[in-house]
Amino acid sequence: MTDWLFLTEVFLAGLGSGALYAVTGVAFVLIYKATRVVNLAIGEILMLGGYAFFGAAAGWHLPAWVALPVAILAGALVGAVVERGLIRPMLGESPISVFMVTIGLGSILAGFVQIVWGADPLRLPEFLPSAPIFIGEAYVAPKVAYGFLAAMVVVTAFVLGLRFSRGGVALKATAADQAAAYSVGIDVPRVFSLSWIVACGVAAGAGVLVGAIGGISPTMGVFGLSVLVVVIVGGLDSMAGALVGGLFIGVVEAFAGTFLGGEYRFLVTFSILILILMVRPYGLFGTHEIERL
Amino acid sequence: MRDWTRRHVLSAGAAMGAGLALGIRPLAAQGADEIVLGGSIPLTGVFAFAGIGIHAGIQDYLKIVNDAGGVEGRKVKYVAEDTGYKVDASVAAFNKITSQEKVSLYYGDSTGFSKTINPELERRGSILMAGASFASELNDPKKYPLQFMAGPDYSEMFGILLRYIANEKAGAKLAFVYSDTEFGRDPIGPSEALAKTLGLEVVEKIVTPPGSVDVSTEVLKLRRARPDFTIFHGYVLAPIPEFITQAKQMGLASRFMGTFWSMDNSTVERMGEAADGFMGVMPYRYYYDTEGESPMLEKIRQMRPEYQSTAYLQGFVTALLMCEAAKRTLAAGKELTGANLKAGLNSIKDFDTGGLFGVPISIPGNSVPVGRIYAFDGKAKQMKPASDWIRLEA
Repeated sequence: MTDWLFLTEVFLAGLGSGALYAVTGVAFVLIYKATRVVNLAIGEILMLGGYAFFGAAAGWHLPAWVALPVAILAGALVGAVVERGLIRPMLGESPISVFMVTIGLGSILAGFVQIVWGADPLRLPEFLPSAPIFIGEAYVAPKVAYGFLAAMVVVTAFVLGLRFSRGGVALKATAADQAAAYSVGIDVPRVFSLSWIVACGVAAGAGVLVGAIGGISPTMGVFGLSVLVVVIVGGLDSMAGALVGGLFIGVVEAFAGTFLGGEYRFLVTFSILILILMVRPYGLFGTHEIERL
Repeated sequence: MRDWTRRHVLSAGAAMGAGLALGIRPLAAQGADEIVLGGSIPLTGVFAFAGIGIHAGIQDYLKIVNDAGGVEGRKVKYVAEDTGYKVDASVAAFNKITSQEKVSLYYGDSTGFSKTINPELERRGSILMAGASFASELNDPKKYPLQFMAGPDYSEMFGILLRYIANEKAGAKLAFVYSDTEFGRDPIGPSEALAKTLGLEVVEKIVTPPGSVDVSTEVLKLRRARPDFTIFHGYVLAPIPEFITQAKQMGLASRFMGTFWSMDNSTVERMGEAADGFMGVMPYRYYYDTEGESPMLEKIRQMRPEYQSTAYLQGFVTALLMCEAAKRTLAAGKELTGANLKAGLNSIKDFDTGGLFGVPISIPGNSVPVGRIYAFDGKAKQMKPASDWIRLEA
């Protein structure tokens, strides 16, 4: 009954959805690492990215390679405004308050999208090549394959960037010890700002990928919640954790969906979450001092 | 302890007075002979795309009725609240509206709400309710004596599809793809049994978690099953287009079908290439349908020159059937109680809805088991009839 070709295809499909988790996870991790804020509005910023792409590509008839940067810039802009307008004034408040602000922000963004674009689910204009892809004999859905490639490039760039670029090192220094970072001349507020800007840009870009596969609607922000599970499993402050956690959860969900049935997908995911929280509350790759809310 | 100054007492008194006045006014201001149609309507949230259409449909029908003098001379007033498609918000809206108005008719937004509010409906005994849910469970006049639905229930929709399939290809292989929600699971069990009696074989049942984005693994399962027909249920748009696109790329020759809530013409059009040949069951004529006599559709097209969704038609038809029930109750000289309204509704026999349903309808129980298969014509960009009207025997 079960043959290797089928198993390979399921595995590849799992990697594909896992990559989407991973790239969105990067946005969570960036913000958490720099500012210790769990931004629950990431899902809605992802949605906004999908809609911005839709507006640029279908509304203004821009080609996809222009619409994609427009979407990313829109996300980055929202990140900048939110950080300066909402998050910075909350500095020093309890993490729960900031957490609640991001939840509120999520509803505002969902409402905004519904006012501008309406409540109907929409489809993004096709921009990824649609010729089916075969790895050996195994079929991979083209959108999933290109989504995977794009996500891998982004995540790898961030893992390397954090390690080797000046900005990345500044961010790591800020994460390790804010006072010490200040004293060596790192502009900590600027690191905060940049982390929000870059993270929201990444989330918006991920929204274009997610939207290309599953379509867009004002409720697609719930995708962010699945990703929250991924980053908690991987470790909230670890880029590599987002990557490994994302791919791992993607593959596990694919096999659970295939052999147990779709109704068990989330059951398996959340069982893993509980297990990880019991054994390693800071996630697979996270540092030990993560605050538990 | 605080000191009560005169100002405090005065302002407290004024506030109490204002509160009382506000609380009392709606009842006092209500015309004695108005019939009130209340509604828990999902204008935001996951079902907002439908809620907005439903809201407009109900309003338009009531405008037509009221402009023509009302129901037996009584105007119908529509009072709605947004629920966000959440059961608790729906119940709160119900409590608010029924405490401020003397409600006789009510539109509920979900299966969950319809089930939750049922004991309260029976306790009050003064309201006839219908709504957005076509749940098979609600189609039971014994358990839900004061409710109905303006079309076939989900199992009956499957029944219509399966009869069509059995006619097209005897012994066909079927796959059911449904969302892991109350809505999605509803017709699966009974339809599997019905498929067997019709000589059809259900070769695969695929469940997708609600809100899942990527369905590649599910499509792999579908390919292994190689069905002749694939029926989607419990979705509006996503993930149907991606499912069909990937399945076609893998060379799967299945035909793809849907049920009422995924049958809106503009929604199907958004599937892009995947839309071509997409089929499904619809109880009403489409907005643009000019075949046969449909004076009601003419009126709708006059009121709204642009395309109106199937959700709009659903709201419109529901309001129409509610008003017809009220009219029959009043004409018989009876009081507008839930039981009388329901009896009025059940007296509807071979009734012409102005062409909204393609055939005259009867409502012996809680549903209107009538529908027709439509298929999307990629050139015309429209759902076109693919069968005659199919009437299920009760």
